[in-house]
Amino acid sequence: MATDIQISIVGSAGDGTIAAGEILRGALAGMGYKVISFDVYPPEIRGFGKCIARMRITTEQAYSLKHKSDVLVSLDDSHAIPHADEVRECGAVIYERGSIVQLPEGGHMSAHIGPGQLPYPVPIRELSEKSTGANRSRNIVVLGFLAGLLKLPAEAFQKAIAKKFKRKAAAAEAGEAAFRAGQDFAAQTFKLDDVLFGPPVSTVVAGATVEMISGNAAIVRGALDAGIDTFFGYPITPATSIMERLATEMPKRGGRLLQTEDEIAAISAVVGAGFAGARAATSTSGPGLSLMAEMLGMGVIGEVPSVVFVSQRGGPSTGMPTKTEQSDLHMAVYGGHGDAPRIVIAPTNVDGCYRCGGKAFEMAEAYQTPVIVLIDLYLSNRYETVVFPSRPPFEADTNRKPGKLAAGAQYKRFALTADHISPRAIPGEKGNMHVVTGLEHNELGRPNDSAEMHEAMSRKRHEKLKAALRHPDFTHFKRFGDEGPVDVGVISWGSTFGECLEAMIKARGEGIRCAAMKVVMLSPFPTHGVTAFMTDCKQVLVPELNYQGQFANLLQANVARPVTRLNRVSGEPMKVEDILDEIRRLAGRKAAQKAA
Amino acid sequence: MGEIKPIYLEEKLKEIEESGRLDYRSKTLPTWCPGCGYFSIVEAVAASLCELGIPNENAVMVSGIGCSSRFPFFVNTYGMHTLHGRALPVATGVKTANDALTVVAVGGDGDGFAIGGGHVPHAARRNVDMTYLLFDNGIYGLTKGQTSPLSAVGFRTPTSPYDNPDRPLNALLMLLSHGASWVGQAYAGRPDHLHRMITQAMAHRGFSYLHILSPCVTFDKTHRTYQNLGMQVRDLPADHDPTDRLAAMREAMNDATPALGLYYREERPTLGDALDGLVEKAGGELPGKPAAKPARKAAKR
Repeated sequence: MATDIQISIVGSAGDGTIAAGEILRGALAGMGYKVISFDVYPPEIRGFGKCIARMRITTEQAYSLKHKSDVLVSLDDSHAIPHADEVRECGAVIYERGSIVQLPEGGHMSAHIGPGQLPYPVPIRELSEKSTGANRSRNIVVLGFLAGLLKLPAEAFQKAIAKKFKRKAAAAEAGEAAFRAGQDFAAQTFKLDDVLFGPPVSTVVAGATVEMISGNAAIVRGALDAGIDTFFGYPITPATSIMERLATEMPKRGGRLLQTEDEIAAISAVVGAGFAGARAATSTSGPGLSLMAEMLGMGVIGEVPSVVFVSQRGGPSTGMPTKTEQSDLHMAVYGGHGDAPRIVIAPTNVDGCYRCGGKAFEMAEAYQTPVIVLIDLYLSNRYETVVFPSRPPFEADTNRKPGKLAAGAQYKRFALTADHISPRAIPGEKGNMHVVTGLEHNELGRPNDSAEMHEAMSRKRHEKLKAALRHPDFTHFKRFGDEGPVDVGVISWGSTFGECLEAMIKARGEGIRCAAMKVVMLSPFPTHGVTAFMTDCKQVLVPELNYQGQFANLLQANVARPVTRLNRVSGEPMKVEDILDEIRRLAGRKAAQKAA
Repeated sequence: MGEIKPIYLEEKLKEIEESGRLDYRSKTLPTWCPGCGYFSIVEAVAASLCELGIPNENAVMVSGIGCSSRFPFFVNTYGMHTLHGRALPVATGVKTANDALTVVAVGGDGDGFAIGGGHVPHAARRNVDMTYLLFDNGIYGLTKGQTSPLSAVGFRTPTSPYDNPDRPLNALLMLLSHGASWVGQAYAGRPDHLHRMITQAMAHRGFSYLHILSPCVTFDKTHRTYQNLGMQVRDLPADHDPTDRLAAMREAMNDATPALGLYYREERPTLGDALDGLVEKAGGELPGKPAAKPARKAAKR
């Protein structure tokens, strides 16, 4: 039996909502299920903001979260009540039975259980107090109850709880007790027959490892596996955890990480370190990328390898720091003054974060250019089970080194070559002294603003990137769904592609001839592949999380064909249903044909 | 001052050629105006590199934008001519990537204390093992003579046609309080002293800051002229103790008659030392030891 269950835990900041989610998905991934999970939390550290830990557990890897949850757990009714209707029919709603404080009318979850939904009132607070002497373990009580109700083995949870409270013996002990109390209570309650876990299916080849990991953690793993030497960064949501993880991991491998005074210093140091031969990177979000624009241009004209991991959030300005958006595409691809071409790659899932996180260094060195890896908050904080190969799939050194100079010859750092890439010397190499400058320069690197030289160098900087479109072992774009001509083709990028894929699969289930294409390399743009796909499509739909249709703009700048845009700026992932409705409409079906 | 000896051109040329310091000059001739104080700085840096026996390929000159920032083109070493104000963080990146390099950041007063001012405290407090040569002419020369944060009150320029209303920064006092581990001042009009100071600054292990006073002969005919500077500068008192930070600050506060010499010097761990310490704490391998990470692949070359 194939498993496909979605569980949401909703609470208030301080309830341990996110921690409960971490333990739950850790336990389920440990059992061998595929997990995809995305948490929502408020920008404030304290206070009473809404927290949601939401996860979908499947036998085969899913591509997005579902529209409806099978189980909703409320740790705070005031936040959870608006989510009661996201529970499907015959799904379960678990909530606090007793009410400690006087609630206003309608303030209790019991008043909001829909027809067909199964209510599970649990004395969460009481069980926590009885088992641990405090009400702090309510989140763990709920996990115990879930394990009991869904007939999941306790060992997997105990392992996940022990891992979570690794350094706090007392908390781990309390966790054990609270978990048991919840589990025991579930034994006394009525059964939930409609939400069933089938056995997990293992698809792992020998030597590979499976881990449940976030997008940011996957980027870090990719960077480490590609041999990152130096990192310079400045904290910013939602990219901070990239820097934090690297701060722990890099010194273990002899690497160096420095927290700089601002993002300008971070990218400057990356360019300096790249010039000196290191594999160097920084991570940031939109506001930081804005500050880095000028130095990225320096990286372009100086042809210095440099890697920037960007996790987008709601903008402009400070915008919505804890909400997701895909609105920095223009900035990443075009940002900065002058003709400043660079490589921009945007993974569409957590596995892609790992691959792009490592490949970025290969590309930066091979094409001597800044490389931006563009993700967003939804992908940064999204957890998926990823299969890691036994050997890192990254090249350790992709530099083109200068050969021996002829007697009396002078090393030309910016030599004009057939493929526009010049052999690159690194400080410390005898005889190859040169200056890298932000001024337009000749082949030697000396300032030169003649018409011929600016034309030649501009051509060099643009043309050399075309080789990146053939970069080995990299998925630049990929088509899914029906082969050959289709009625509707969905083209998307980044985190939104998962929802597009789900919608496409559902549309095919409804008999619509449909295909989807993800575009991972945004700059340089894989025009040929995308054009070929669009030629197959009667209608093209481009869903993305920004107001302007930034990817659609990029697409239409490269392929002159009309597309239908689907834009959302809710700060949340796009709804599969919205994309599906649009596919139906474009295929000439009735839009309001809602799934039961 | 002793007896003035005549200088014969052939003798002087022979002496310079034999010294080997011409190997540190590039074939690109400086683009500065005739009479600019910066000529003596490029000559002094070449002489210092030669004197310290630093191989050309192991030296990296990093600059921002401005008249002085053209410097890397005029010496025969590796170099980076970067963005306005960003020499220090770029130099920090170079040094962090490869400790074996001798890194020298050069730049003007506008580059360092206006647009790049935010980076100065951090390079100093981290004690990045590099030398920062600040060419202070109190003016923006490359854009043809506007006011800088080190221009005097009342200085008239095209951007302050009715007088400069702002008081100048006291750069030496700033660097002393930011925690630079070597702080000195020199004057382009005293090339021998300048050369000795640059040699000392480069030999120092840690962040060394040398403030070099220089006139802009083209755009400043009233304030920072050779004539005025020559009358204003003095030597630090013979009994000045360069390990006494407070004494150094007192001297720095007397900016009407700028004192030349070594203000302050201390030995303390550099940024590189600190980062190596983190590797040890994390149980990682340091470069040079077996199984060293490609982190220092550049160092091994």
